[in-house]
Formats: sequence, structure tokens, C-alpha cells
Amino acid sequence: MSVSITKDCIACFACKEVCPQKAISSGQSAFSVIAHRCNECSDNPNGPQCAHICPVETAIVDNKGQALNPLGSLTGLPQDLNVIALSN
Amino acid sequence: MTLQHLRQSQTKQPVSAEAQAALVAKHPCFSKEGHRYARMHLPVAPACNIQCNYCNRKFDCSNETRPGVVSKLLSPAMAARRFEKVKQHVPETQVVGIAGPGDPLANPKATLASLKAISKIDEDVHLCVSTNGLALVDQLDALLAAGVKHLTITINCIDADIGQKIYPWVYFNQQRLRGRKAAQTLIDRQLLGLEAAIKAGMLVKVNTVLIPGINDFHIDSLAKELGRFGAFIHNIMPLISDPAHGTYFGLMGQREPSKRELDLARQSAGQSMAQMTHCQQCRADAVGKLGQDIDLAAIEQDNAVADSTLRVAVATSSNQLIDQHFGHATQFLSYLVSAESIEQQRSIDWQQYCSGSDQCADDKQQDLNQLSQFNTVLCSRIGHTPLQELSDLGVEVNTKYALREIKEALLEIQQSLINQVKPAKRTVCNAGECS
Repeated sequence: MSVSITKDCIACFACKEVCPQKAISSGQSAFSVIAHRCNECSDNPNGPQCAHICPVETAIVDNKGQALNPLGSLTGLPQDLNVIALSN
Repeated sequence: MTLQHLRQSQTKQPVSAEAQAALVAKHPCFSKEGHRYARMHLPVAPACNIQCNYCNRKFDCSNETRPGVVSKLLSPAMAARRFEKVKQHVPETQVVGIAGPGDPLANPKATLASLKAISKIDEDVHLCVSTNGLALVDQLDALLAAGVKHLTITINCIDADIGQKIYPWVYFNQQRLRGRKAAQTLIDRQLLGLEAAIKAGMLVKVNTVLIPGINDFHIDSLAKELGRFGAFIHNIMPLISDPAHGTYFGLMGQREPSKRELDLARQSAGQSMAQMTHCQQCRADAVGKLGQDIDLAAIEQDNAVADSTLRVAVATSSNQLIDQHFGHATQFLSYLVSAESIEQQRSIDWQQYCSGSDQCADDKQQDLNQLSQFNTVLCSRIGHTPLQELSDLGVEVNTKYALREIKEALLEIQQSLINQVKPAKRTVCNAGECS
């Protein structure tokens, strides 16, 4: 049972600051989750802390690969604008 | 009217007038006259606990100059080294601030460690922190203990209906809050922090981003409230909303205020709060005098030759081989390696990091700060937790010399030091990524 971090991560360290299990490993530009430490914050009624503070949509996924912050859920941007931003 | 208000706010300041004048005079971000002095921002605080609609953390490019953006993150140890170098080149550097690229108080460990490291090097330097205020009440005592006397809080409104158009979410008490509740929480915490910081004797500047149609009509009441609290100066800054930056406001076509709108807002807020008008909206890694930023790459390259010495710590039990696990070491041999020489320094007595069993507890909390003076630690093996912590402190750990002779390893390090004196290339950003 562990969340994981995708390539959308911007290496901002926010998850590492709040992870109660010290399960976040930080590299130069890519972060990852140390799977055996992560318990998906199952003891916390608020749920995974990394997902609560992560500023980037789709950067944190559960063990089925589902984004805990799906596209559009954080920025509130309409999807077509998001696409323009990416191709800009 | 203005004077009367200013006097009123000054009587609320627990700091004496002279002490305040001294605090202001050398700080370029608190007084125009401070221009003769230089400031540097240390980019040590990447994490943020809120999202603002005028900020996009994804982009980083050296051609972009705006707050929240930074080229390279520094560890506290690297920040201290950068300060020493900059101080050599620009002795008038009187102010060291931490402004991001996230929120300094969402990164309390890195922020406080950096502040302490800087005041160790130069106790006269003015330390300053710029925050969104969410965690200010929690961190105020620690900031005061570290010697921070200048504080900037960004407060864009005191009305949650306005706030929810500016802040899509706020991370507070282990939850991501949204909407009105998020804005109200942030505003409450900002005002609590503002009051507590002023009471504690800090000089507090308030930054406000002027956003046409969103908070422009509200600036007056905001400034009145800030005056009542006794904030020292108010800095109204124009929104930057170039769509190329990919911010919510930028992509949604929110326009920037005109020069005239900015002047009017400052004029009317000036009725209740002293206004700052010379803000340059610096990046979180700016160095030098306002408006004359220094090319850091040049300084760091220039110094690469001059101070090419490495401090190396070695974990050994035989005093011959690099044969000690980091967690089992009770002392570290210390060496100063330069192109010309390898000198042994006084060794460091060390409290064993791991209690002895093969399975190290994951929640080890020993302070590794004592090792931050080293560039490199050589050992036979090391656990993941101390490895991460050391890398966060800017200390490289090297296990590739495991079970080899210390002398041999130091000679190889010296050789790579000699080869390395080529200057680092500056990376050029992709044209597509920034305007």
C-alpha cells in the first residue's frame, strides 16, 4: 500500500515537509515514495497528506495509478486552457 | 491625516523610534534610502502551503524576473556559502532575506537553519523573511530567536469573498481547504500573525498585489485595517499576469492594472498607511542592490578557482581504510583537500547515529548539522535517512571508496578537484518555456 509520485512532480518539497512517515525521497528533479514506509496515511482521517499539499495535479497517484488530484481539481482551469498552457 | 495615522501606528510599535530608524535605514525593501545597501535572497524554501492565482510554480527560467521563481534551490549550508561569497564581492550586502520560492514558513527547518548559519557568519546582517502569513503565529518565536527583525506579509484582502477569488486552496491543519473557508482561514491567520509580530517588536511590511476588479475597490479598507494594526509600511504591487507564465489569472485573461490605477490605489491607501513605491518585485534568489542585480553565476565561477578546497569527513575504524558504516561511526577524521595539499584537521567526536543493531530505526532524529561544514563524507555504507538528511544539508556522501585506503581516496578526490576547475556552463532556457 503506497502512493507514488509521477513525472509531473515539480520537486517543491511540500510533500516531504508534511509526510508523517518520512516516506518521500528527494532527488535533483524527481521525487519518489519509499513504498515500504508509506501507509497512505491510513491512520489519518484526512487521508494522504502529500496529496493534500501537492500543488500539481496528477503528480501523486494511488496504487491503481489514479491521480489523487485529478486534472482541473486544483487550478480550476478549464481543460482547453490547460492544453494551451502546455503547448505554449 | 497621514501623519496623524503614522504617529498613531508608531506609538503602537513597541520598538523605540531610534531602533526603528536603524532597522529601516539599511534595508532597501523598507526604505528608499536603503538603496545604497544591497540585499540577497536565499532560495532555500521551495514548499508552499497555499496556492495563489497569480503564481505558477511550474516555471523557472533565468529570463523571468518575478517573485516565486528561482533558478536553483540551495541547502542551508550552500546558502551560507553563497552569502560568504557575495559578501566578499559586495560588502554592502546588509540584508539577507528568505522569500521562497515557496513560503519560508512552510519550510521551517531549512529557513531557520539558513538564518542561523548566516548570523553565525555575520551577526550584524539584517535578517528578513517574507511570508503569506499562514504559519506565522506558529513560527514567530523561532523567527525571533533566530534574530529576524524584518518581516513582510503578503495580505491581498481582509474579506473572504474576495480572498476566494485569489486563493483556490490553503493547506491548514492537515487538510486542503477550498473556497471561502480557505480564504477566511488564511486571512484570520495573517491578521493574528501581523498583530503578534508587531507586538513582538518586528518591523512589518505588508505586500498587496493589486488585481483590477478583484481587490482594487478594497485597498482602502485593507490599508485602514493595516494602519490600525500598526504595520510599518504598505507595498502595493501591480499584478503580473502574462499568459506565458501559465498562472490562473494569466490564462483566464485577468488584466494587469495600469500605471494610473496603481498610483490611485497607492494614493488612497496612503491616507492610512505609509506607502512604498520603489518595489522591484524581485525573484526569490535576487542578489545586489535593488534594480542592479548581480550575476551570481559570474561570482560563483570566479570563486570556483579561488576557493577550491574541499572539507572531507571520513568514517573509519582502522584509521587506514574507509571501513566504517556511517551509522556506527563514533568519530570522523577530517581533511582539508586542495589542489596543492591534503591536510588532516582535528577529528570530530560523534555520537553514534545508530544504536548498534543491524536494523536502524527509521525515525532517527539525530541532528546532523554538525556535519554541514563538510563538502563530502566518506564511509563504507550509509542508511537512507541520514543520506537524505545530509544531501538536504548540501553534504555529498560517497561510498564508492568503501574498504579502500583513506590516503588513496583523498588523492583521487584531489585529482578530480584539479580537473574540475573548468567553469560551469550556464543553462539556457527553452525558448518555448518562457516569453
